Amino acid sequence: MGFLQNLYDGFYLNFIKDDRYLWLVSGLKNTLLITIFAVILGTIIGFIVAIIRSTYEKSGSFKILNGVCTVYLTVIRGTPTMIQLLIMNFVILASFNMNPIIVGGLSFGINSGAYVAEIVRSGIMSIDPGQTEAGRSLGLNFTQTMQLIIIPQAFKNVLPALVNEFIVLIKETSIIGYIGMMDLTKGAMTIQSRTFDPTWPLLAAAVIYLVIVMILTFFMKKLERRLRVSER
Amino acid sequence: MSDKKILLEVKGLQKSFGDNLVLAGINTEISQGEVVAVIGPSGSGKSTFLRSLNLLEVPTGGQILFEGVDITDPKVDINRHRQKIGMVFQQFNLFPHKTVKENILLAPVTLKLLSEADANKRALELLERVGLPDKADTYPEMLSGGQKQRIAIARALAMNPDVMLFDEPTSALDPEMVGEVLEIMRELAKDGMTMVVVTHEMGFAREVATRVVFIDEGVIKEENPPEEFFGNPQDIRLKEFLSKVL
Repeated sequence: MGFLQNLYDGFYLNFIKDDRYLWLVSGLKNTLLITIFAVILGTIIGFIVAIIRSTYEKSGSFKILNGVCTVYLTVIRGTPTMIQLLIMNFVILASFNMNPIIVGGLSFGINSGAYVAEIVRSGIMSIDPGQTEAGRSLGLNFTQTMQLIIIPQAFKNVLPALVNEFIVLIKETSIIGYIGMMDLTKGAMTIQSRTFDPTWPLLAAAVIYLVIVMILTFFMKKLERRLRVSER
Repeated sequence: MSDKKILLEVKGLQKSFGDNLVLAGINTEISQGEVVAVIGPSGSGKSTFLRSLNLLEVPTGGQILFEGVDITDPKVDINRHRQKIGMVFQQFNLFPHKTVKENILLAPVTLKLLSEADANKRALELLERVGLPDKADTYPEMLSGGQKQRIAIARALAMNPDVMLFDEPTSALDPEMVGEVLEIMRELAKDGMTMVVVTHEMGFAREVATRVVFIDEGVIKEENPPEEFFGNPQDIRLKEFLSKVL
């Protein structure tokens, strides 16, 4: 009975006593908020950059914008996410006293945008140029052709890679504790600092991350299957 | 000037890719109701010529007048003119993520030329016309090559074009499917559609075309009505070419 009693005591001490589980709950809420903000921002940036870059590669237009995008990609992919987060918080936004959720969302969104851009660009480049020609020959303009013909097909092709990027993103937000944000990881560490027991809170945080990722993967598979109806 | 309206007027058309001059000055006119077959050896520039007519290839010199407007002028809204120039590709280029009906509806509805309901009716009419009325809700993946090309023709027709360009429409098809596509094109010609067809089908050129154009080394070497063209060719390269393909 001693083992079970120990388990119960550990669980009680780390989660129940003083409502310590609330650290995890509010941390999880912030982790999700930052991730959602970053995913939306990253997707918008990523698609815009991808369209500019792939159009430049195919037709040579958008020369200046392509240069700007290349610099963005080089800088973001060439520096650690952690450094970007710290610079965003302590340099760029230092004097604005912003909510760390916004700072984190901006920082992770701009970071993720670079990776999304390269994923989506490869998706666009994989679509047969004949698709663009067919669209344009019908009198559709560049934007309509992109929006109705190219992007939907490219999106389907890169969906698994995109979801993978968002999985990486969720986990990467665990460094936001460094700018004083109470996220899931920081919540677990806070419990640890009160109870001096690392095992329970850290394992709990790990399980929660794992479950989120599994849920995401589940929905991705469902969506993927739905998008494949045209290939029955 | 003849009684027929001139739809396309090509003046000194040039196209080069880097140092490679593919079209070295093409001059011709295409009038309403004409069916022009364009033939020539591979690499002669015949596809580039056809693709220049709706500016899928941007010419590096010369002019193309479509219904009197110089469409090579950068100030011209090319999208508006492309609506009136249908195009059918060798590789069909149907939109794989859309059903057959959606393929046909997409452009007229997006460009607000037809209401959703009218476009629907038109799509079904066109499917009837190309002999595939039961394929409306199928995805292109499920169709044979010949069926795909018939749908591609229906998609181009949905825009009510004034002229139709065909870029080797039967070259990617299995032999037994060539006939069904040529049959549709024959009917189109009979209905008075103006057509420019790059083709290797000499039988089609002979029977359906009102004029045959031989392009070689980036210029038109000879153009004549089919009887004259095939019966009494003048150009030495054309004679050589015909002796190989006939």
